[in-house]
Amino acid sequence: MRSALRWLPGIALLVLLVAGLEWAVNAGMIRRALMPPPSAIGDALWDLLASGDFVEPLFATLRLVFAGFAIGSALGIAAGVAMGWWPAAYRLLEPLVELLRPIPKAALVPALMLFLGIGEAMKITSVALAVFFPVLINTLQGVRGVDRVILDGARTHGWGTAHVLRHLVLPAALPFILAGMRVALGLALVLAVLSEMLSGQGGLGFLILDMQRSFQVRLMYAWLVILAVVGLALNTLFLIAERRALHWQPANRP
Amino acid sequence: MSFLSLDAINKSFAGVPVMRDATLAVREGEFMAVLGPSGCGKSTLLQIAAGLLPPSAGTVRIAGRAITAPPPEAVYVFQQYTRSLLPWRSVRDNVAFATEHRLGKRRARAIAEETLAQVGLSGFGDHFPWQLSGGMQQRVAIARALAAEPAILLLDEPFSAVDALTRLDLHALFLDIWSRRKLTVMLVTHDVEEAIYLADRIALLTYRPSSISEIFEVGLPRPRDPITTRALPQFLELRQTLLQKLLARPDA
Repeated sequence: MRSALRWLPGIALLVLLVAGLEWAVNAGMIRRALMPPPSAIGDALWDLLASGDFVEPLFATLRLVFAGFAIGSALGIAAGVAMGWWPAAYRLLEPLVELLRPIPKAALVPALMLFLGIGEAMKITSVALAVFFPVLINTLQGVRGVDRVILDGARTHGWGTAHVLRHLVLPAALPFILAGMRVALGLALVLAVLSEMLSGQGGLGFLILDMQRSFQVRLMYAWLVILAVVGLALNTLFLIAERRALHWQPANRP
Repeated sequence: MSFLSLDAINKSFAGVPVMRDATLAVREGEFMAVLGPSGCGKSTLLQIAAGLLPPSAGTVRIAGRAITAPPPEAVYVFQQYTRSLLPWRSVRDNVAFATEHRLGKRRARAIAEETLAQVGLSGFGDHFPWQLSGGMQQRVAIARALAAEPAILLLDEPFSAVDALTRLDLHALFLDIWSRRKLTVMLVTHDVEEAIYLADRIALLTYRPSSISEIFEVGLPRPRDPITTRALPQFLELRQTLLQKLLARPDA
């Protein structure tokens, strides 16, 4: 009850903005062709949800996000651990990483299309690329930050390298890894939508662009609302998973 | 017959010599204290003995065998229990840390429970380290070392980060475990009374580049008592001698 009250001002502002928009459009201050009243968008959204037509594009996009996020995270963690643990791996890969990391991954989509076409493979690769670098950088930082004393403790008890990496380095670096993955999740959604737009087929990204081009502006906004909810839901789910994984941290205990 | 021997150990960091020809022989079952002021390289010497740090020159032998990596016979107990325990593991799993890689999780947890009981922490297995007091956390660290059933314990000021009463408590616990398990112990400390109270012999470490300058026989009867032992004339005499030696350093 208390936490619901805490959010009251924020929710009130949101309602006020939507109502204000409705009023502004109806009063003729904004052209309907560009911005239909929110109630009309609501109607379009309702039709979309009721007909079930939203399911297929939504799942197409989610599939990209999840596949790309999983692949990019797994590779990012593996590369980050290798670079953080073995100095030789760091010296080998660091120049390459520093060269590729600053490129906005969206700019690589056209090049990927040359090699992989406009299908699933290209889209998943774009998402995975966007996810890979932030996860790698954070994992690297987390692995390097593992306390010397903990590592010496493992050595004096005779732990082997594989056991150290699996049971000591990974859990110790986990808060960093998860922070990187949370940033990467947002980027994953961006690249999924963008690669759908550029490829001209499938999913929420394509539909938003397609609706705009065919002057179905109400539907464009309806899809946009769905996309916003997807982003919010993904982030919330991740935060819950993160808190569960880091349950041992005092801040996460009741 | 020495069980753990340090033979002419030299160590330099970035070309600066910090240890020169440190030589020490610890007998089997002996409690050896290495006493020295802060910053004289006590921890460095102990880490070399543990195989955690390679000496620049010299040899460490355990039971006659020269070692170059952490040997299975010896376990190192760190001064900073807050940093050596894993915050994401329960107390039980922190103790299982000692054996899980050899015996598997199940067996390691069973041993952990037994060892926790021996240090007076039964019932705390499910707690996390941060939920315990400093003294209790250091008990967990001691339990972790004991769970590995080492022949040699290397103690890096493990009693210095807790309050005075807790320290007496840990001393008693530790002496009891030492005598029951017939452990060989090398303890480094800057606390003169702690060294006399616990040890059979005390090696004095000089300033940098450090080496072992003298070895004192304590010769106090066992079992020792936190109050009466400290009041014995022999105790006070040795305390005075050692303090004078420590305070007489040129650059103290």
